[in-house]
Amino acid sequence: MRATIPLFSSLAWPRTLRSRIFLILLIGLAFAYGLSFSVLYMERTMSAKAVMLGTLENDVATSIAVLDRLPSSERGDLLDWLSRGNYRFELGPGLAGVPDGSRKAREIAGKIEAAAGHRFPIRIERIPGEVNRLQAHLTLSDGSPLTIDVTPRGVMPIAAWLPYVFVIQMLLLFLCTWFAVRQVIRPLGALAAAADALDPNKDGAALSEAGPSEVAHAARAFNAMRERIAHYLEERVQILAAISHGLQTPITRMRLRADMAEDSPERDKLVHDLGEIQRLVQDGIAYARSAHGSGENNARIDLASFIDSIAYDYQDTGKAVTVVGLVQGAALTKPHALRRILSNFIDNALKFAGAAEISVEHNAENRVVITVVDRGPGIPDDMLEAAMQPFFRLEQSRNRETGGTGLGLAIAQQLTAKIGGTLRLYNRAGGGLAAEVTLR
Amino acid sequence: MDHVDHILVVDDDREIRELVSGYLQKNGLRTSVAADGRQMRSFLDANAVDLIVLDVMMPGDDGLVLCRELRSGRHKAIPILMLTARTDEMDRILGLEMGADDYLAKPFAARELLARIKAVLRRTRMLPPNLQISGAGQLLTFGDWRLDTVARHLLNKEGTAIALSGAEYRLLRVFIDHPQRVLNRDQLLSLTQGRDADLFDRSIDLLVSRLRQRLGDDAREPTYIKTVRSEGYVFSVPVEITELRP
Repeated sequence: MRATIPLFSSLAWPRTLRSRIFLILLIGLAFAYGLSFSVLYMERTMSAKAVMLGTLENDVATSIAVLDRLPSSERGDLLDWLSRGNYRFELGPGLAGVPDGSRKAREIAGKIEAAAGHRFPIRIERIPGEVNRLQAHLTLSDGSPLTIDVTPRGVMPIAAWLPYVFVIQMLLLFLCTWFAVRQVIRPLGALAAAADALDPNKDGAALSEAGPSEVAHAARAFNAMRERIAHYLEERVQILAAISHGLQTPITRMRLRADMAEDSPERDKLVHDLGEIQRLVQDGIAYARSAHGSGENNARIDLASFIDSIAYDYQDTGKAVTVVGLVQGAALTKPHALRRILSNFIDNALKFAGAAEISVEHNAENRVVITVVDRGPGIPDDMLEAAMQPFFRLEQSRNRETGGTGLGLAIAQQLTAKIGGTLRLYNRAGGGLAAEVTLR
Repeated sequence: MDHVDHILVVDDDREIRELVSGYLQKNGLRTSVAADGRQMRSFLDANAVDLIVLDVMMPGDDGLVLCRELRSGRHKAIPILMLTARTDEMDRILGLEMGADDYLAKPFAARELLARIKAVLRRTRMLPPNLQISGAGQLLTFGDWRLDTVARHLLNKEGTAIALSGAEYRLLRVFIDHPQRVLNRDQLLSLTQGRDADLFDRSIDLLVSRLRQRLGDDAREPTYIKTVRSEGYVFSVPVEITELRP
C-alpha cells in the first residue's frame, strides 16, 4: 500500500473514499471491457481479411483462366458475370497509375499470381487522386491486356449498431459502479453521523441494524459500544452517589458531635473542614450528574419572571444580586439546568466580587444572551479557557479561603452543552468578569 | 402547666438518632426515636407526638413513602421535617410535595435543626388547618393560571412557564391552601419564611405585590389576592386540583 500512495498522490488522487473506489472500479472495468472488445475486433478483422483475400485470389485466378481461354470477342459478354462487389474486370490497359510498392499490393499480386499458376505476371498500380483504388494489370496469353479494378471496401467485421451497444454497456457499468460504491459508502456515512451524534445520555434511536451482514455487524457493534458508554457513565454517577451517600452519614455524625461540643476555635475549624468536604461531595455529584444529563424536558419559560425569580431568591437571603436589563419574551429551554448555570455564575460573582448583575438581551441572531457580570478581580485572559476545566482554581487571587471546589464553571459548561447553548467568559472593560450563556 | 413538645426522630443510623435526640433534649424538647417505618408506626399507635423528624434515605420504606403514608392516614396532622441527603433540587421539592412541612439537607447544623423544628411548630399552630390539601404532583388551576407543584412554576394560558421565586411560591401555596380566608401578615410571614430567610424578612406587602405582578393582577383592583384593610389578604378565586401524574 505504501508504495502506491506516492504514485497516486502525484496524480490528482481524490480525497474521498467514494471517488477512489468509484475510480478504481470504473477504470478497471472499463479497461477490461475495452480490452476484450479490442481483442474481439482484431480477431474479427483478421478472419474477415483472410476470407476476403482467399476469395479474391481463387476467384480472380479462375476468372483470369476463363477469360484467357475465351476468344477475345466473347470476353466482353462475360465481364459482368465475373465481376464482384469489390473488383471488376476491364478489357484494356486501364487507367494510368503509379506503381504501388506497398506490402499489401505485393501480397495481393503474389497471391493472384500463385493462384493463376504464375502464368500472368501482375503489376499493381494506385490511381492517383483516388483513395483505396487499385488496378491490377496483366497480359493474357493472346497478348491482350486485362485490368482488374479493385476497390477494397473497408473491412467491417462488426455490425454498425455495435458501438451503440458499447456506449450503453459503458453507461450500465458506470451506473452499477456508482450503485456499488453507494452501497459501501452509505453505511460508513451513517456510522460517522451516528458517532457524531452519540449522546449516551439520551435514549436516541439506535443505529439501524438492517442491511448487508457486514454493515449490520458494524451497526450492532456500534450500538453495543454506545450502550457500554452509557453504562460506564451511569456507573460513574452511581459510584459518586454511593461515595457521597456513604460519606454523608459520618459527616452528619461529626457535624452533630461538633455542635454538641463546647465552643472552641478547634470546633469551629472542624465545622469549617466538614463544610468543605460536604461541598466537594455535593459539587462532585452535581458535576457527574451534569455530564450525565438530567433528563429534563424543554419547557417554554417567560424570561423576565425567570430572571426575576432567581434574583429575588438571592435578594431574599440578603445577597446583592440585581437585574439590570431584561427583554420580554419567552424561551424554550431546560429551566432547572439554566437556573443552575446562572446560579453558578452568580455564586462565583458573589464569592469574588460580593455582588452580581444579571442582564438579558437578544443578540444579532435573535438568540437570548444572559450575562452575569461582576466587578471582581476577573480571570487573566490566557486562563479563561482553563477556568472552565473541572477543579480549576486561580490560586493567587481565588484561593481556597474563598471556598468552592472549582467545579462551578465546569458544571455550568456541561449544562450549557446539555441545553444546546454556548458559554463564554470574558473580562469586562473596567474590570470584573462577565459570564455569558447564549441560549439555542 | 407547660406543654413540652414531643419530637419523634426516625433515622436508620443509631448514632445520628441519639445525637439528634440528645441535642433536642438538651434544648428542652421531649424526644423519642425510631429506626425504621415499622418502629415509627407502632410508636405512633401508642403515643402522641408533635412533630416527626424523618430521614429520607432509609432501608425498607424510605422517608418519602413514610411521609406519604402519614399524610394519607390518621396522623396526617403531625408536622413532618424531612432530613434529605439528596442534593438534587427535584428530590427536595418532591419531598416537600409529599407533604413534608420543611426539609433539611444532611449534614446540617444542630442549631438549624432546632430552629426549623420550632418554626414548623409555630407555623402549624398559627395557621388554621388547610382547607384543601394540595400535594405531590398536582396541577392547581385558578382563574387563568395553573400552578405546577412539581416544577414550582405558573403556567399561563399559552403554556409558558412563569417562574416564581421560593418566597413567591410559598406565599402562593399558602393562599391556595386557604382560599376565601383572610390571612394576616404574621401568619403569611411565618409561612413564607424560607430556608435562610430568617434574618432577611421581606415585608409581606412587597411579596404580595410581586406575586400580584406575576399573576398580572392590578394592585388597585386585584382579581386573585385581595387586600382586606387592616387585616391582611384573601385569595378570592376557587382552585381546582388535578393530578399531574397518575
